[in-house]
Amino acid sequence: MISRKLEDWITERYDIKGLGRLLRAKYVPSHCLDASYFTGGLTLFLFIVQFLTGMGLALYYVPHSEYAYKSIVDIMTKLNMGWFFRSLHHWGAQLAIASLFVHFFANLLLKAYRKPRELLWVTGFIMIIVLVFFGLSGYFLIWDQRAFTAIRVATGGAGNLPLIGGPIKVFLRGGIDVTQETLTRFYALHVAILPMISLIIIGLHVLLVQVHGMSVPVSQKDKQGQPQPFFPNVFYKDLIIWFLATGIIVTLAVLLPAGIGTKADPMAPAPENIKPEWYFLFVFQTLKLFPGQMAGFNGETIAMTVISLSVLFVLLVPFLDKRSSAGKPSLAYTCIGVFYLLYFVAMTIIGFLN
Amino acid sequence: MKLDHSLVTRRTFLNTLFGGWLAAIASGGLYAFLKFVFPTAGKEPDFVVLNRADFLDIPGNTVKMFAWGGKPGFFLKRDDGTTLAVKGVCTHMECNISYQPDVKKFYCACHKGWFDDNGRNIAGPPPKPLERFDIVITGQKLVIAKKGAKVDLPKA
Repeated sequence: MISRKLEDWITERYDIKGLGRLLRAKYVPSHCLDASYFTGGLTLFLFIVQFLTGMGLALYYVPHSEYAYKSIVDIMTKLNMGWFFRSLHHWGAQLAIASLFVHFFANLLLKAYRKPRELLWVTGFIMIIVLVFFGLSGYFLIWDQRAFTAIRVATGGAGNLPLIGGPIKVFLRGGIDVTQETLTRFYALHVAILPMISLIIIGLHVLLVQVHGMSVPVSQKDKQGQPQPFFPNVFYKDLIIWFLATGIIVTLAVLLPAGIGTKADPMAPAPENIKPEWYFLFVFQTLKLFPGQMAGFNGETIAMTVISLSVLFVLLVPFLDKRSSAGKPSLAYTCIGVFYLLYFVAMTIIGFLN
Repeated sequence: MKLDHSLVTRRTFLNTLFGGWLAAIASGGLYAFLKFVFPTAGKEPDFVVLNRADFLDIPGNTVKMFAWGGKPGFFLKRDDGTTLAVKGVCTHMECNISYQPDVKKFYCACHKGWFDDNGRNIAGPPPKPLERFDIVITGQKLVIAKKGAKVDLPKA
């Protein structure tokens, strides 16, 4: 009775039934590659997990070089369930990045970027950059020796870019060195700037998916089955995957809680065998391929330029791949996609084993 | 409407005036904001003044660290009593290095870079030698200075 009245009250002011009709009108194509459709929803779900656990952690974290490390230790040891929510945030981040990479490669190989979905690709590309910065900044907040060294290397690496490198490095560090200024900046990025950008970009991305519908790969155009209603059929499948993901991160958080090293000391030597987070390993391995000096230029500068241009190329794929946009098979871009995937996977594995 | 001797219509004139005004305000604001967001970088010290006894009396083949701005510096005394002062930051990716007395070399753990006891890059990825500093002894003070920097000590 109460709920009926509430519904009437709201309906008089906003037609919520319209939203229901919209939901029921949404159909999802079905074919043998439609599993790729769930990667986006999974990434979105993991983002929500990160937002929620992050809000909790933000209530206790202290963004100051003297207290940051201790506040993490307190979260892990003194607060009720602190270890659990920090570990959830840690593993949720790992899984969100993995899920976004899968989403990215699936759509690259299935050419989901082709006309008229170029803007979906662009917003997705921005989200990859945002997520990488989320990872980098979040990782730094724990202020242990590994994080400190990693941020010095990462911001220094960006400093090797020609022309724009210097200003980028100073901007990220808030000065010439990695100091409290850097921590303040990364904290602001992690808890205010990046979440805000994410909300806008994800909002646009999801809106564009609603406008254009799911992309059907060229090869599956003539082999489609009956489209499935989004609600409830596809939605329930989404839910199953979300529950599975929750199970995975809860299990990982309980069995392998997030750790912390020794407190950062700007004067201490770099720890032995330091490695970046797994999603930076391919960059790390690529940098190793370049010698210190190449034809009179700094090897790092050349390496960073090559990497940046390869990443930029990904952004431009929908505008360059004319055959896909015309609805024709595009072997060249399939090869490029496979090459990117193999390179990423191979370099990550080599980085792990080294 | 366009006057007989005018080059543009009133509409174009007003649009340009209004658009130009908007652009001027926006670029002024953006410039100020960027100046705010990009910090003044600051610089490394030209020299640091240390206590002579703390450093010159260390045993041979050992190093003593000093703070070079926010980064470590190394004062090395070799077996034969000669000394070297370098910035303790690898020239490859800016990791902090350490001194390995058993092989008499500086070592960077990040990517396995090696420098000899003159700071020269001898193995691994570092592209340049370590930054060497001048060592000046004045009275009880040990001054470690950037190469070529002018050292102005306050009169004691």
